[in-house]
Amino acid sequence: MIRGRVGLLCVVLLASLAARATAGAAVLAHREVLPNGIVLLVAERPAVPIVAVRVLMRAGAVYDPADRGGLANLTGAVLTRGTAKRTGPELDTAIEFVGGSVEAGASRDSMTVSMTAQKKDLTLGLDLVSEVVLTPTFPEAEVSRKVAEIQAAIKRSEEDPGTVAARALSRLVFEGHPYGRPVEGTRESVGRLTRDDVAKFYRERARPDTTVVAVVGAVTVDEARREIMARFGSWARPADPPATPPMATAPPATREDSVKRELTQSTIMFGRQAVLQTDPDYFPLAVASYVLGGGSASRLYTRVREESGLAYSVYSWASPWRYGASFAVSAQTRTAEAPKVIAMIREELARMGREPVAERELGLAKQYLIGSFPLRLDTSGKVADFLVAIEDRGLGLDYADRYKERIGKVTAADVQRVAGKYFTASAFNLVVVGETK
Amino acid sequence: MIHRPPRGGRYNRTVRIAILLLLIVSLLVPSSAPAADRVVAATLDNGLRVLLLEDPRSPIVSFQVWYRVGSRNEHRGSTGIAHFLEHLMFKGTPSHGPKQFARLVEENGGQDNAFTSQDVTSYYVDIAADKIDLIIDLEADRMQNLLLDPKEITSEREVVIEERRTRTEDDPGGFLGEEVSSIAFKAHPYGAPIIGWMEDIRRVTPEEIRAFYKAYYVPNNAIVVAVGAFRAADVLEKIKKRFGRIPRGKTPPPLLAIEPVQNGERRVSVTKQAELPIVYMAWHVPNYKSDDSVALELLSTILSGGRASRLYRDLVYQRQLALEAGGDNSYFSIDPNLFWFWATPMPGQTPEKLEAELSAHMERLKTEPVTDEELARAKNQVEAAFVYQEDSVHQRASLLARFELAGGYAMKDSFLTKIRALTAADLTRVARTWFVPERKSVGVLLPKP
Repeated sequence: MIRGRVGLLCVVLLASLAARATAGAAVLAHREVLPNGIVLLVAERPAVPIVAVRVLMRAGAVYDPADRGGLANLTGAVLTRGTAKRTGPELDTAIEFVGGSVEAGASRDSMTVSMTAQKKDLTLGLDLVSEVVLTPTFPEAEVSRKVAEIQAAIKRSEEDPGTVAARALSRLVFEGHPYGRPVEGTRESVGRLTRDDVAKFYRERARPDTTVVAVVGAVTVDEARREIMARFGSWARPADPPATPPMATAPPATREDSVKRELTQSTIMFGRQAVLQTDPDYFPLAVASYVLGGGSASRLYTRVREESGLAYSVYSWASPWRYGASFAVSAQTRTAEAPKVIAMIREELARMGREPVAERELGLAKQYLIGSFPLRLDTSGKVADFLVAIEDRGLGLDYADRYKERIGKVTAADVQRVAGKYFTASAFNLVVVGETK
Repeated sequence: MIHRPPRGGRYNRTVRIAILLLLIVSLLVPSSAPAADRVVAATLDNGLRVLLLEDPRSPIVSFQVWYRVGSRNEHRGSTGIAHFLEHLMFKGTPSHGPKQFARLVEENGGQDNAFTSQDVTSYYVDIAADKIDLIIDLEADRMQNLLLDPKEITSEREVVIEERRTRTEDDPGGFLGEEVSSIAFKAHPYGAPIIGWMEDIRRVTPEEIRAFYKAYYVPNNAIVVAVGAFRAADVLEKIKKRFGRIPRGKTPPPLLAIEPVQNGERRVSVTKQAELPIVYMAWHVPNYKSDDSVALELLSTILSGGRASRLYRDLVYQRQLALEAGGDNSYFSIDPNLFWFWATPMPGQTPEKLEAELSAHMERLKTEPVTDEELARAKNQVEAAFVYQEDSVHQRASLLARFELAGGYAMKDSFLTKIRALTAADLTRVARTWFVPERKSVGVLLPKP
């Protein structure tokens, strides 16, 4: 495919999804807090007979103990591998027999169990989800299997320059914070993890009062409430308050790193910390990022790819998380041209702060961010992902409307101001993967 | 980790097959409801085929133009030309300058992209339904009036070369896939990579690209598909008005090459910087024109549709010989193509071992009927996937186009009927017929020490 800009949209997903149109004051979802603290979100989409469910728990890699890197990831991977009622293979066969799926996994901030099934199989699907969430057994043999599999996957990922660069960059950008460590851990750290570590982590982190459940599709609010209450209503809330990880703070200095690989291209990645979605600067930053490297009309795309033929992929993107955020720029170019592309990116970063963006560039970015919103909520699965994410970040169901309004108000002066604040080339860490000197 | 954008799309389903599996399954799955009944289909006087389906659930539309041209229409020495032209379709016409396509779409809140496969080149825009006039105008314009400025070609050539480096030169899976395809086909253009050989990308001239555009980008070689919140009658009128002006072109030249029957196993082995070996096995199989291909679809689901599937359950889960393993059929291929098997050995396991294990699974399919549970599960998975794809207007449009290319969008409905009718004995017979050693090509990638 040719222009490779679709990928970027995934990264700005949350931001862009939030730009939901307010027209008709359609309510995105029904929200209620169950007695044990679970936040339940329900969106009725009756036209297609399927249901998507997400259970998000605040149990991501940010909670990994310093000497237990990869623990949340391993726990997520083993979560569906055995429950009080079924072995992992029995669970797989049960859901796949009806053409559905039940998956679990961890990200930086959270652990999510996802289920998709046809409406007629909703009871089975919800039974499996509740078994997985409430009664996982973490069998010893399954933990060992997953440890070996994750170690092999980490080894293989070392051949992907983009993954190698992103890992190295996170280490620099979030030095001293859990975000600086890879979610999947390292081969060594994963090798040290035990079944007891997994069980203890889940026992301590999975709790109803930090859990969000979204039910989206051919289901009514009453039905969803009844089914969720029947399965999760007796999940007891612990007395102690949930743990709160530290917020990321900027490391004292920026650094450069290079990783040698025998490749024909160099992968270049600039990165720094940026702002959360709750920060007023977030909206002009989203616009600035789109102008700089967001789409196929962006400055970097135009200069590096279209005018110079130096890269197939060149992007910038903001990644807001719960306890920190980053902004990054990336390009892949033939080895000999890496210094030229690095210089171009630095120049374009600086230019964003030096002069105001043109009206058409500004208009395009804002209209795109606002106007493309409905495209990204066009399936039940996407709606469910969006709902649990905005709830977990504490953005509120009206965030969509607010986002649209705030993006709409961003001016060229705002963009220049945030670019001056965040795009100073010297404030970026830099990683290059490829043939290095 | 800093979240990085996944690469935008793909041009080749055989590269990194594993990752594409879910997508392919979803493409394969026509709608269970008789959606075909509601499709408004028309062929304009100039030969343009139009398929429209009203779907009012979201205020959006997926508007797609599919040209019946891909790498199969290329010749030795100028491989990659279809894909190169796809890039140049974004480089403007006299009325919409070089950078205007993307700008206009983004300014209107739309997302557009394109892909080239062995058989087709497809362009799509997903956008608010009230912007459909703009998209009709843009697509009709570039069907006929592409600039193909030599200056733009020069700079875009470098972009395509970088794309090739990313996808093939620096990607072990992509690299090996290309090698296996090239030994599997001696006569048919499916043996050449979609992106083209590096030497051809460097050489191909603006004149050749222009001639290719003139030959294949004609209304009588294209399908327009739109699904979304519109009135089909209105949109059909608009399409007639705008696309109807474009004159019918000459019928594009037929592809004459027929792949001769393979007479013995073929092998290729490559060494590259990589962390783990890769094994690919590919068998020549029939396409949608044969009912055996429907059985191959089900076999592919039984082998690798989910965690209860045979290859995952045995090689990845129970015996931990592979990090991943799967199989994939080429149902929609315009000419007969390959059924792929692949595996990545776990550290400490050899590619020889995995090749033997994949072969053993193949032999088992020939000698032992699949169980009733396996058969029912695979059928249910295919049927459910039909229902899931109904949720996205983009997927609905793509699927209509796929079936139309394979002989008619109404085939959507008979596909599922054929799936339901398959028996375990059918699958055994089909496995015996097609998975014979003489029709096999094997590729092994070994990490450079």
